[in-house]
Amino acid sequence: MTARESLFDSGKLKVEEAPPALARDLKDGLRLGVIGILVMLGAAFFLSGIVGPLFALGNVEETVMDVLTRLALLALPFVAYIAAASVARRYTVRDSPRALGLALTTTVILFAAISAGHYVFNYGVFAPRPSLQMTLRQTDAGIRVEALVAGGAADTAEMQVGDVITAIRRDRVDLAAFNKRLSQSEADAPLRLRFMRGDEELQETVRVILVSDKQLSVLLPGLLFGLAFTAIIVFLPGHWAPYIALVGLLSPLLVGYFWVIVATFSYRTEGLVPLDSNDNFGGFTLKNWESIFAGNISGLEFNIWPILMTSLAIAVVMTFVVLLVSSMAGYALSRMHFPGRRFFLSFTLILHGFPAITLLIPIFIVLLRLGNMPIIGEVIGFNTIGGIALVMVAFQLPLGVWLMKGFFDNIPWDMERSALIDGASRFRTYWEILLPQIRPGLLALGIFAFIGGWNAYIIPATYSIGTGLSNLPVFLNELIDETAPVDWNQVAAVGLFQLIPIFIFFIFAQEYLLNIYAGGTKGSS
Amino acid sequence: MEIRIDNLTKKFGDVVGVENLTLHIDDGEFVAFLGPSGCGKTTTLLTLAGIYKPTDGLIRFGDRVVNTVQPKDRNIGMVFQSYALYPHMTIFQNIAYPLKLKKVPKNEQNEQVRRVANVMGIGDLLDRRPGQLSGGQQQRVALGRALVKEPDVLLFDEPLSNLDARLRLTMRGEIKHLQKNLGITSIYVTHDQVEAMTMADRIAVMNLGHLQAFDAPDELYDRPKTRFVAGFVGNPPMNFLDVEVSRLNGQFLAEADAIRLPLGAERGEPPAGHPGAVVMGIRPEDIQIADDGDVRGEIFVVEPLGREDLIDVRIGSNSFILLADTEKQYRAGQPVALKFDMSQAQFFDPQTERSLLWRQ
Repeated sequence: MTARESLFDSGKLKVEEAPPALARDLKDGLRLGVIGILVMLGAAFFLSGIVGPLFALGNVEETVMDVLTRLALLALPFVAYIAAASVARRYTVRDSPRALGLALTTTVILFAAISAGHYVFNYGVFAPRPSLQMTLRQTDAGIRVEALVAGGAADTAEMQVGDVITAIRRDRVDLAAFNKRLSQSEADAPLRLRFMRGDEELQETVRVILVSDKQLSVLLPGLLFGLAFTAIIVFLPGHWAPYIALVGLLSPLLVGYFWVIVATFSYRTEGLVPLDSNDNFGGFTLKNWESIFAGNISGLEFNIWPILMTSLAIAVVMTFVVLLVSSMAGYALSRMHFPGRRFFLSFTLILHGFPAITLLIPIFIVLLRLGNMPIIGEVIGFNTIGGIALVMVAFQLPLGVWLMKGFFDNIPWDMERSALIDGASRFRTYWEILLPQIRPGLLALGIFAFIGGWNAYIIPATYSIGTGLSNLPVFLNELIDETAPVDWNQVAAVGLFQLIPIFIFFIFAQEYLLNIYAGGTKGSS
Repeated sequence: MEIRIDNLTKKFGDVVGVENLTLHIDDGEFVAFLGPSGCGKTTTLLTLAGIYKPTDGLIRFGDRVVNTVQPKDRNIGMVFQSYALYPHMTIFQNIAYPLKLKKVPKNEQNEQVRRVANVMGIGDLLDRRPGQLSGGQQQRVALGRALVKEPDVLLFDEPLSNLDARLRLTMRGEIKHLQKNLGITSIYVTHDQVEAMTMADRIAVMNLGHLQAFDAPDELYDRPKTRFVAGFVGNPPMNFLDVEVSRLNGQFLAEADAIRLPLGAERGEPPAGHPGAVVMGIRPEDIQIADDGDVRGEIFVVEPLGREDLIDVRIGSNSFILLADTEKQYRAGQPVALKFDMSQAQFFDPQTERSLLWRQ
């Protein structure tokens, strides 16, 4: 106490009147928020103004830069909120109302600033949108015109209130499809509308115009969302951050999986929302699954079991042959010296790097010749499961051999010598002593091979042309090719059906992997 | 089983593992192969086991030439430094594996495995896996597995190197005891000369792929035939210095710089007949610190070993390692006088490195 006073008295330290803590924190938060805004603006400018044109100079499409720029601008407010909220986080433990108050205040101010920016630069919610300048409503008969802007695009094209729009050109549309089509149109693009006026069917071409309606009411949802977002950021436990980042990065996949699962159990989906025929939430059904087993999807008749069996046969044959050949070749390459060993090793590596697509035609010829041979041709020729599996195995082997060689290299020589001295033959040593040591490797390679075989498309599709022989991926493609209109919910069901064995495989494999690592192999050190 | 190795050579491409090795091992004998790493001792052992095929020379087990006989047909047991147990099998399965391969009936396997396990003191561990055992227990399992098929020859490849010092001492005694009881011809590879000295009936000292000496431990210690053997056998190692030995009035004198040491005729005569300088070797225990010592020097460093101190004494440019009583509390920098027991001195030809005292 006295020491401090003496400091003051002596005049060595000048203290200014400290600002109230809340005001100071608000200032800190806003400063960080503004820095966040500037950083994101800078990033957007860097992408669209500098990197984009550079790419364009090299005749590379700059769409990616476009997308990234938009992403940066989209993320801009959130980055600002996160920056501002980080100041408030220090109060979450002791004084949560204060933290919340501080965060929400900064958010409101930042939101106002960003919105003002949007307003001035015609961006975001104030950006001009393509419009036909009429109000529409979905009815059972079609899309009914409820109101027209006088002198607007629809009005000049002589549309009238009460017209019921049924199609754009020849494509039948509902309101959702209509709006989607409209939002993708450019200014002055002609849309030829087909509509009913009374009992009369008419056509009019309406030209799209860009409208920017600067109504402040549209800002409210954005503000509420921003406030909710900041509140979450303030009270989010710090150790969740990596998970949230991971889930964020995985979200395209997760959304995809979610859609597939939802779609297979519903009549129709709009985005991720399952809908019934009246556009209401619901419409759950098992018909997509039933039609798989009933063997009729959109008029295409089939029997799912032989297709499933073909998939399974390719995958299983491939797994066994790849494991057997790879492990034996890997053993020989790891343990024995023979002429051509080094050449073989580097050659297989080159083979592995060779793109399979380029070999399709030559292999086609080989299989065709093989198919002409008696007996052998029945098993591994063109248009046989054996032939397909043979080619798939060949493509998988270089990787397998290298993988297995690596695993064998890690087994100490002593273990093998010990087995030989104990009285085992070379093969028995390989089979009884060494193979169990590389079980994790065998399992990994087995999974690769099985999934590779199960999901194989190019090779089965190429070498089973014009036969009933097809596996699930090939069948999936046929389904899309040969039915019109494509019922995507049923396609999704077939896709999910194809995934089931993989799921089962993984559940078991995971158990097994964990068991192996719990067992330990210290004894061999 | 008597083992006769004649002119054995093993090359890996151009690299020589062992060259021209001739060694006759008697039935029931315990022989140690001793040498620094890379001297060819393990190569020789693996050639005996049949893992390597000899490039040249003959190996006989008894009267049978086994050069091309497969390991499994040699009836040998081997214990490895890394134990080389099979981690995916239980201890029982590990020990029973050689019997299983011999197609011994199940109940007989069971009986033999239990008998061996009890001898090795691991009878209660049979259901465990190697990963759950300590290093010492694993080594016992490895030994049990080597013994269970009642081999004609037992091979040990540095079996104790991975154990801690205390356990090494116990296992050393146990292996020696077991070998004497069973009377199985055994070959024991080690780079630890204490192990070789304490356990073996005879030691084959090897260096750079060549046999340096093959003799009983005491012979190697007292009458080393090469400078390498003299330096490798014994701990702490022998001191060497270049001296000139001259005859003076029927007396012999070894001289180097300020050091002048009188010699008896028995040790002095052969080096005195050698023209020029010779290498003198003297063991640490044959040098004493004594007030009436012949040579004065200064203590350079003192390393306490507990029972005694290891002392490095510098005399001019020469350095001598010797052992001294800890109670004397010698300190670095202290001037001392040394007394050499020259009746134990060794002399070597500096060119051929052969002993001038003991002819091969």
